[in-house]
Amino acid sequence: MAREGILYQGAAGRDTCLPDLLAASGLARLLWGAYDAAMSQSDEVSKGRRSFLLQAAATGAAAAAATAAAAQAPTPPQGAASPDASPSASPSVSEVRSEGRPGSDYMVDVLKSLGFEYICANPGSSFRGLHESIINYGGNSRPELITCMHEESSVAMAHGYFKAEGTPLPVMAHGTVGIQHASMAVYNAWCDRVPVYLILGNTLDATMRQPGVEWVHSVQDAAALVRDFTKWDDSPVSLQHFGESAVRAYKMAMTPPSGPVVIVADTELQEQPIHSDRTLVIPKLTPPSPPQAESGAVTELARLLVEAEQPLFIADRLARTPAGLERLVELAELLQAGVVSTIPNLMPPVGAGRMNFPTRHPLNQTYRSNAAIAAADVIVGLEISNFFGATNIFIDQVERTTRPAIRPDAKLITLNSTDLIQKANYQDFQRYAAVNMALTGDGEATLPSLIEAVRRLLTDQRKSTFERRGKALAEASAAARERFRGDAALAWDASPITTARLAAEIWEQIRKEDWSLVSGGLSGWPVRLWDFTKHYQHLGVSGGSGIGYGAPAAIGAALANRKHGRLSVNIQNDGDLMYAPGVLWTAAHHRIPVLTIMNNNRAYHEEMMHIQRMSNRRNRGVDRAHIGNEIDNPGIDYAKLAQSMGWYAEGPISNPRDIGPALKRAIAVVKRGEPAMVDVMVQPR
Amino acid sequence: MNRISSIALASLLVVSLGAAAQTPGPAATAGSAARGKTTFFRVGCHQCHGGEAQGSPYSTAPKLGPAALPFAAFTLFTRKPRLQMPPYSPDILSDAELADIYAYVTSRAAPVALDKLPN
Repeated sequence: MAREGILYQGAAGRDTCLPDLLAASGLARLLWGAYDAAMSQSDEVSKGRRSFLLQAAATGAAAAAATAAAAQAPTPPQGAASPDASPSASPSVSEVRSEGRPGSDYMVDVLKSLGFEYICANPGSSFRGLHESIINYGGNSRPELITCMHEESSVAMAHGYFKAEGTPLPVMAHGTVGIQHASMAVYNAWCDRVPVYLILGNTLDATMRQPGVEWVHSVQDAAALVRDFTKWDDSPVSLQHFGESAVRAYKMAMTPPSGPVVIVADTELQEQPIHSDRTLVIPKLTPPSPPQAESGAVTELARLLVEAEQPLFIADRLARTPAGLERLVELAELLQAGVVSTIPNLMPPVGAGRMNFPTRHPLNQTYRSNAAIAAADVIVGLEISNFFGATNIFIDQVERTTRPAIRPDAKLITLNSTDLIQKANYQDFQRYAAVNMALTGDGEATLPSLIEAVRRLLTDQRKSTFERRGKALAEASAAARERFRGDAALAWDASPITTARLAAEIWEQIRKEDWSLVSGGLSGWPVRLWDFTKHYQHLGVSGGSGIGYGAPAAIGAALANRKHGRLSVNIQNDGDLMYAPGVLWTAAHHRIPVLTIMNNNRAYHEEMMHIQRMSNRRNRGVDRAHIGNEIDNPGIDYAKLAQSMGWYAEGPISNPRDIGPALKRAIAVVKRGEPAMVDVMVQPR
Repeated sequence: MNRISSIALASLLVVSLGAAAQTPGPAATAGSAARGKTTFFRVGCHQCHGGEAQGSPYSTAPKLGPAALPFAAFTLFTRKPRLQMPPYSPDILSDAELADIYAYVTSRAAPVALDKLPN
């Protein structure tokens, strides 16, 4: 075999894209070797960025698929020289490197093998080698670099992207100041079980650090800062080590329970040439199968459910994929059992994590969750961390107390994967819930076997009972929904505008579109007034309740929704936006279409209520509770803010009759592929 | 940054109403809706219950008007809330001010017809 390797040729004679090939074949084991010699010896090879030795033959189908995908990819700049002018390079190395490819080219191919569409970053010198390889060697395609203006925005965009797309989006950041900025967003992802994939630049070899900034931007252990709330990390010391750990990190991140991972990309590995005497391998990624609960326990749970008089499911982060929603519907209908799910911002925070169940399904008891929980004799928590909070009422008065919200004879059962990964320092695992059965396994993956176990136990007599139960639940659910509609009709013409009116006005404009609520709860009105049926229509909350999540997560999700042609709807809290408003520029720059409606109540309202509580407990009155909490005097003109960063924007709107026309105009802009904002002055709640 | 602030009040309101029915309360008819509006906003009622006392599912702060809650129950719950609502003692909210607030919340507009809401 020629030393310069095989230039991958598809049927059309173009370069075949490695990740597409891998994705299509699922078997390719690629040797990535002897680059430097290859690149210096062969002009032909130098024209192609992907010179690989293919060890395993790809199938014809795989090659065809890869060719089709490659035809969409931009052609990268050509030439043998890598314009690496590293100031930290050894004096014995030429400023213009011609003797070999840099290690970061290999890193790019590893990333390509994982199929990443995009990579988010605020630029940083500790990953300049990788940055350059992505845009030049990699052709800035799969992954395409998304320019972010804050590392917290990068990670939150990756967070939102995953929840819309189901695949990770990597983030590059400094191993010091970058991850410090990003850490809160990483914590949100940890609490929300989202596999954010972090690549941190760092210079471990102190003798290679340029005096000055490179020292303060270097660290012994870059991942240490977020180790308490990441699933796994590694600091590779060779390129092959990087390749294996990068693939392992992807696998670890995606194995339920999912979570953020960190790979440190050392600057020397990025920037130094690949040794000609080494053969690099890109390991094959084998997607993991999620863990299922033990079969005996599943059978016992099925028995309890079939024998129960009022079984109830409380689902939180259950539906990892569209299939999770479908299976829960199947199980609930089989048993004619109630489901509580998808209640953003309702406290206790049950069911706010994912879109698990259609909001208008007759068995959806979310609108009357307190009554449903109080009546149930078997309650099954599905991927819910706060099961204690869901089954108890916590009273925040001078003396904090708790009382059960359930029947004394209720059997409590949990099915979740959270027990498979818990850490000590951060307490996101919530208060210990004493239950009758604890099934450890991924909820979505276990549902099929639970459904089958239930089917085996069904009798005609039980089916008849189920039918009556389902009818009663449907009536109760419908009545509760009508009550909420009646409540929404209160203060209809008020100004500032009620949150219910705003939710209704948005729904009127989007209900015939293929929409996706990418962020924002609006006091829980959308889930009460809108008809959520699809997995991507509700992406859930932040996880860690770290403010600053909403705007970037929405734009990350909108980035994922773009190729599907979905109308991304972001109901944006004002305080949240001001943490890192530069993400608006990112959306405009990359032409990410998203409809943003400002939920502008001019305060950190949650905190306002806390200060009210403290003030009145101390018998001092709440007259000054706004101090330190309001975002007013001056009020922020969000439309101008957005316009300054290239958005179409209107507002502030204070007359409810103006909302509909403004939304129409904004949606027209979004349909052209651009972001648009409507700023609405709303009531505090 | 955020902490759980509120939880359902509705069920406790029912309990409070039952107790209040046995308890004579101050007269409500003396209240002024105009003064009550000022006080309603000054002491922060609108932060959870909304400016028109329409309530909110977020904090499950119940609607306070226009349907009339018995004033005795209204007073009892304001003075000694059972769940998350901050207590308002007479030192920071007088009986007269409470009567004004009651006049305000019970004078709010009726809900619009449901056919105005998109389905």
